[in-house]
Formats: sequence, structure tokens, C-alpha cells
Amino acid sequence: MAGAIIENMSTKKLVILGVILMLFQAFSFMVGGLIAPSPTAAVSYLATKCVDNEKTHHKNPKWFTPWGPDQCSKIKDFDEAMVKKIEANNIVFAIHIPPPNTEMSTWFQFLLLILHFDIAFKIQNQIADGASITIDVRLAYRDDKLSEWTQMAHSVEQRKLSCNFTAAKTIENEGRLYDCDLLPFMELGSVAHKYYLLNVRLPVNERKKVNIGIGEINDMRLVGIHQNGGFTKVWFAMKTFLTPSVLIIMIWYWKRITQMTRPPVLLEKVIFALGISMTFINIPVEWFSVGFDWTWMLLFGDIRQGIFYAMLLSFWIIFCGEHLMDQTERNRFSVYWKQVIPIVFGSFCLFIFDMCERGVQLKNPFYSIWASDVGTELAMAFIIVAGICACLYFLFLCFMVFQVFRNISGKRSCLPAMTKARRLHYEGLIFRFKFLMLVTLACAAMTVIFFIISQVSEGHWLWGGHTVQVNSAFFTGIYGMWNLYVFALMFLYAPSHKRYGDEQSSADQAGNSGEDTQLTTTITHVDGPTEIYKMTGKEAQE
Amino acid sequence: MSSEYLIRSLLMLFLALFSANASNWLYLAKLSSVGSISDEETCEKLRGLIQRQVQICKRNVEVMDAVRRGAQLAIDECQYQFRNRRWNCSTLESVPVFGKVVTQGTREAAFVYAISAASVAFAVTRACSSGELDKCGCDRNVHGVSPEGFQWSGCSDNIAYGVAFSQSFVDIRERSKGQSSNRALMNLHNNEAGRKAILNHMRVECKCHGVSGSCEVKTCWKAMPPFRKVGNVIKEKFDGATEVELRKVGTTKVLVPRNSQFKPHTDEDLVYLDPSPDFCEHDPRTPGIMGTAGRFCNKTSKAIDGCELMCCGRGFHTEEVEVVDRCSCKFHWCCYVKCKQCRKMVEMHTCR
Repeated sequence: MAGAIIENMSTKKLVILGVILMLFQAFSFMVGGLIAPSPTAAVSYLATKCVDNEKTHHKNPKWFTPWGPDQCSKIKDFDEAMVKKIEANNIVFAIHIPPPNTEMSTWFQFLLLILHFDIAFKIQNQIADGASITIDVRLAYRDDKLSEWTQMAHSVEQRKLSCNFTAAKTIENEGRLYDCDLLPFMELGSVAHKYYLLNVRLPVNERKKVNIGIGEINDMRLVGIHQNGGFTKVWFAMKTFLTPSVLIIMIWYWKRITQMTRPPVLLEKVIFALGISMTFINIPVEWFSVGFDWTWMLLFGDIRQGIFYAMLLSFWIIFCGEHLMDQTERNRFSVYWKQVIPIVFGSFCLFIFDMCERGVQLKNPFYSIWASDVGTELAMAFIIVAGICACLYFLFLCFMVFQVFRNISGKRSCLPAMTKARRLHYEGLIFRFKFLMLVTLACAAMTVIFFIISQVSEGHWLWGGHTVQVNSAFFTGIYGMWNLYVFALMFLYAPSHKRYGDEQSSADQAGNSGEDTQLTTTITHVDGPTEIYKMTGKEAQE
Repeated sequence: MSSEYLIRSLLMLFLALFSANASNWLYLAKLSSVGSISDEETCEKLRGLIQRQVQICKRNVEVMDAVRRGAQLAIDECQYQFRNRRWNCSTLESVPVFGKVVTQGTREAAFVYAISAASVAFAVTRACSSGELDKCGCDRNVHGVSPEGFQWSGCSDNIAYGVAFSQSFVDIRERSKGQSSNRALMNLHNNEAGRKAILNHMRVECKCHGVSGSCEVKTCWKAMPPFRKVGNVIKEKFDGATEVELRKVGTTKVLVPRNSQFKPHTDEDLVYLDPSPDFCEHDPRTPGIMGTAGRFCNKTSKAIDGCELMCCGRGFHTEEVEVVDRCSCKFHWCCYVKCKQCRKMVEMHTCR
């Protein structure tokens, strides 16, 4: 029977491995920070106000382009419309994406639009309480500058206007703008075309109370967010490099396990499953999105990430459980149902939420769950339930870690009295647990720290003449880090081939049948002590 | 000898006039008859531009409509901000638009320069966002644009282009004369302060769009403040403007506060050289100063819009006027108002 590699490795080798992993870690940060541009780009657009003079605009949609050849007839502002006696229903807001002299590209991966209205305060024409705005929107695309526009989507959407007016509502302050919240407007899961055109109308119907009491709109602004092409390329390259690396170590790991005479234990299976979910994220299927118009890629990416997170959280629970050292037979997944259920339930809630938002957006890119009251409540409910699940999970995890530490200190006191094999067995358990605990905490701390840095900082730092893209470094660095984590886990916690002290353990086992189960269920049983191992052993003895 | 002196003094006079009319391009706002500025020949005909501005006009014809809108915006905002003051930013149908008020180094001139530089940056940036201009944020000449282009890393904010254009178009008059004169330094400073009023009040807006809409991925961008806000900021700076004088520090000439006990002005503050006139009486020698006779005033106010101060102690008429007001109106979001007419009696006070 063999222990894990980590126990049998000499300190020197462990240090070398650590240094190599650190180098890769630094490299993955640098790839994002120095080569890639910032992850996303935001482009602001101001809608052009076009005039639709035809009465029959409902049957055959005519497309209004804001600029370029055969642009629509424009008005500068609505005072001009007032003078020319143009009605609200004949005004079309036109937005062309991207700006002149640029093209969209499939490398942008997704396109998100945020809507914002500039609404002026007028003492007689204020925004009514709880007003919502009805938007009739059409989206079209074309792939060269001269061809006709092809309609992609048409929808009538409602959005709640939540605006407040900071200054006093007096006649003096007429003309000041309301402070309005940004409205989610559109989400495209793939950018397959070069040019997009949006035609937005705000139809007024006094009888049905449509678009009444929404104040005096001055302008419509949009912000388009897409992933930067450069970042996508760096990201894909990274994924393409990481896939085979993790895949190879996974195959190697599984081979080792199957080479053993006993069937694999639970912990080994969970580590393997973690490897599979990591590879599942890694596989660069996004390459296809460059060639094909796969709008579901965004949703698919969410699902893959969700599976990995769920797997990682389950792994931590099971790892703790298998190191409890309380002589209970575990080694079965069903033992952990209490801890795993919050994970499964929480992920399921987020999955349903994501399906409701991004899933529906596959059909209607203008859909937003936050637009309606029921949707908002539903979404909040899902998120709150998921949050409760997360809290529950962490309570369980903390409790288990606490238990392990309690047992460790209990075991330490009686370590010297044990036979050599049993002592080594327990020392091995303690060392393995402490090692993973340390590494996991370090990784989690890194993730949190970099997350905070990327949230707080302005996106890029100037550093010795180079621009460091902090946000990109965060993404590639953290992604690389968790890959290395899984990689190191599979490598270090694979069963070792080395066989020392076999005679002794068999001799011991005769007398200790009660703890036999524990000795076999966890990978353990111990052999050649390494220096670190000896050190922790010593520490444990003190 | 005397003829040379004559020529020289004429030249000086010419130069003085030239330097005095540095905000003449604001006259563009008055050129509604020209229609759209669409070809290079129109540039030549525009009144109020100096030769180098005409050159910029020719090189950037498509931007000129935005500049003109900017000029209009500046005048409107000036009139809004000064509606209650003795000088109410009234314009003339001639060059310079504000008359001689802005040709002296007064506070009012400082405000006009700042608001006009800001308005050009604002209007050009707006035109960029609506796609009217070709270069904008993706223009290679603007600082901060990556060489790899839009596909690799997107473009810089349009405001960078707007500010750069304002710097080249509005400042060129002062720059072309060199940096020596105190008026040039004052104008340049105030122009920059106006643009800073936009730049330092850009709103940062963010959107989270990570897994399930979490803030794992967050994108932020800068949005321009509404121009009314910019106007308010510059008006505040006007109220706290610093009186300065030219001083030589080493080889360079700088503006320092006249009163050495005041703390030195920052980039955002407005500076002026000469105290303002009281703007009380109509002055035929300085066009633009209309005087306050005939202006409405507020009887109850103790501030500058109160009858006491507004009328410069000359007293005021009071008459009761019937005002036809709109009431119980029905509005659409654009272009439609249906109101009843309400009549009410209002006391109006006008300065003598």
C-alpha cells in the first residue's frame, strides 16, 4: 500500500515543483497584464433622432441609419420637432454599431447594450411615480456597407424608469436633467456580423396610458460593451495551452490509480472529477464561435463555470471529511449529503436564474428579468436562496475544518505512544491536510485580493513605461492559478509507488483491526518520511 | 519718421484689435443663415475666424457643425447663468458677440472663455457619440489610443478627442501670438479651466456582467456631465475667481495672485486681470454694456437680482400686469403640449 506522492517527495523536489508552479503563475499574470488589452471595451453612442414621414410604418419596416450614405432626415433636438409639428410617434431613434470607420468582429464574443435617457425636469411635466417606458425596438445587421439591412429581432419592451431629481423642484431648475438609473437593454451572445443597426421608437398612446408621464426626453444614450478582440485571443491561447496540460496530468493520475490493486477511494475519485470539470472549462470550444454564430456560448460558459465551482466546493468538503481521523467509515459520497445539498441547490438556483435571463435572451435579446416586478422578485429570490446556500456551505466547511484541527491536536498528544506505522499514518494525514489547507487558503486569498484590486483600481497601471492591465491580469492570473491548483492537486495527491516499511505495517495491522478501515479508506499509509514530513512530525510531537 | 511711427502705431492698433477679439468665433452661433458647413469654401466665408482657424476648419469640415452648436450652447448657458446679474450675457448682432465686455481682462471675459472652450469640447464629443465624425476616439493623433486599433483593444473615450479639438481650435488665437502677453496667458488658463470643468466631473458608470450578472466582470466607462452641470461649475469658479498679475519667474512668465496672501489658483480656477465695470449704465463707447434700465428685478431679494442692487439705486417702476400662463397641461415626451390658459395678475418691477 502506498501513500500520496506528497508524503514521499523529498523537500528539495517539493521546493522545485513549487518554484516551477510559481513561475507559471507569474507568467499567467504577465500574459494578462502585459500582452492583453483590457478585457472589455465600452463605446458610448448617442441616438440620432430621425423623422419617419411615412404613415404606414408598421407594415414594411424601413431602416433609419444615423449617418453614412442615405441617412435619415434628422432633427437636432425636440424644439425643432415642436416647430415642425412632428409627433412623438414619428420619431425614430437610430443607433449604428460600431462607430464610423470600424467594424464589429466575431472576436468580440458578446455585445451588451445599456440604455440611458436624458430626461429634463419641467415643473409641469414631471416623471410620474413608478413610471415605466415602453420601447419598440428593431435590430438589424448587414455585413457590407452597401447591402440591405436584415432584421434580427423586433420586440416591444417595458423598462422601469427610476429617476430622482437632486436639486429643488423649482422653476429655477427647469432644464436640469434627472439622475436616472442605467437600464439593461440588450445582450447578444455572439457578434457574428460587422454592422448592427438599432431603430427605437417610443410610441405614445394616451388611451392605453403608454409612455405618458415619462417626462421630457432630451436624448437617448446607449453604451455598447463587448469583449476586446485582443483579450479574446490571449484568453483562447491560454485555454488552448492549458487544456492538454491538465488533460495529460489527469490521464497520468487515473493510470496511477488503476495500477493499484485496491479500487479507488472516494477522495481519489473526487480529485479526478475536479480534473474533469477543470478540463471541461479549459477545452477551447470558443474557437468555434469565431466561425459559427453560436449565441448560446455565453450561457454555456456560465454553466461550465458553475459546474467547476460546485465541484471545487464539494471537493473541499470531502477532503476535510476524509481527514477527520475519527475512526468512522466514510468513503461514500452519500455520507456527505448534508454538506453537498446546499452546493447542489445553490448552483441549481443560479442555473435557473441564468436560464431565465440568458436563456430567454437567446430568443429575445432585449429580454431582461429585471424589467418586470415579478421577474425582479423571482430573480432576487433565486439569488437570496443561493446566498443562503453559500452561507450554509461555509458554516459546514468551517465546522469541519474546526473538527479536523481538534482531532489533530487530540492525535498529537498520543502520537509518541503509537507504533511506528500508525504514527506515520497519522503524521501523513496531518501533513497532507495542512498542506492543502495552506495552499487553498493562499489561492483563495489571492483571488479575493486580486478581485478587490481589480475592482478598486482604474483598470491599468503604468509601471516602468509599460501599461499593466490589472483587470486582464486578474482574469488570466486567477484562471491560471486555479488550473495550477488542480494540476498540483492531481500530481501531489496521486498514490505513490514507493514502498517502505511494508513489513512493519503488516505486522501492526494484525493488532489494530479497528483502525484498518481508516488506513485503507484514505489513500495513506505511510512510508519514507521526507524532511518536511519529519518536520511536521516533530511539530506534531511537540 | 512720422510715417513710420504712424504705420507702427496702426500695426499696434491692429494687433490690439486682433488680440481683443479672440472669442470672435462664437459668432458662428449667429450664422444660422449659412446652413450646414459642409465644404471647405464655406470656411472662408465664416465671419469671426482667424486665418489659422480657417485652416483647421478646412481640414475638419465635418467638425464645424459641432463647433457651431458649441458656440450656441456657450451663449445659452452664459445667458442662463447670468440671468439674474447686471450683465446678463446679452449678445449683439456683430463681432464680437458679447461686445467689448469680453475684450477686457475681466471676470466676465474669464467666464466667457471658459464656457466657450468647454462647450466646444462638449459639442464635439457629443457629435462623436452620435457618429457624425469619422475620427474621434479612434483617431491616432489623440493621446491614449492603442496602436493595435479598435479590434484589438477598442478606442479611447471620445472626450479625449473633444478636448484635443477644443485645445487646437479655441486656443490657437492665443498660441499664435506666443505666450508672452498677460491677456493670452489669462485666456489660455481660463480655456483650460473650462475644459477641466468637464474632465473633472466626468461620471463613472459601471455595469456588472459576469456569471449570472455578478460583478466578477465589471466594465466601467466615463459619461460626460450634463452641460448645465458644467455651467454651474464654471459659474462657481467665476464667483471665486482670482485676480492675477503677470510676473517673471526665471525666464518664463506666469500669472500669480495679485494679493500674495491668497492661495495660488489651481488649474480649475478662473483668473482675471482687470476689475469689472459696474454694468449699471448703458455705455455707448463699449458695446455690450446695455445697462440695467428696463430689466426686471425681484423686490424681495437682497441679492444681485434684487431691485436694490440690480437698478443701481436708481429705483424701479412697479406695474400690475395680466399674465397668460399655461396650466393643467397634457404632455407627451416630445413635441406635444395641450394646455388651458390661466390668467393671473402679477406685479412686475422694472428698473428705471
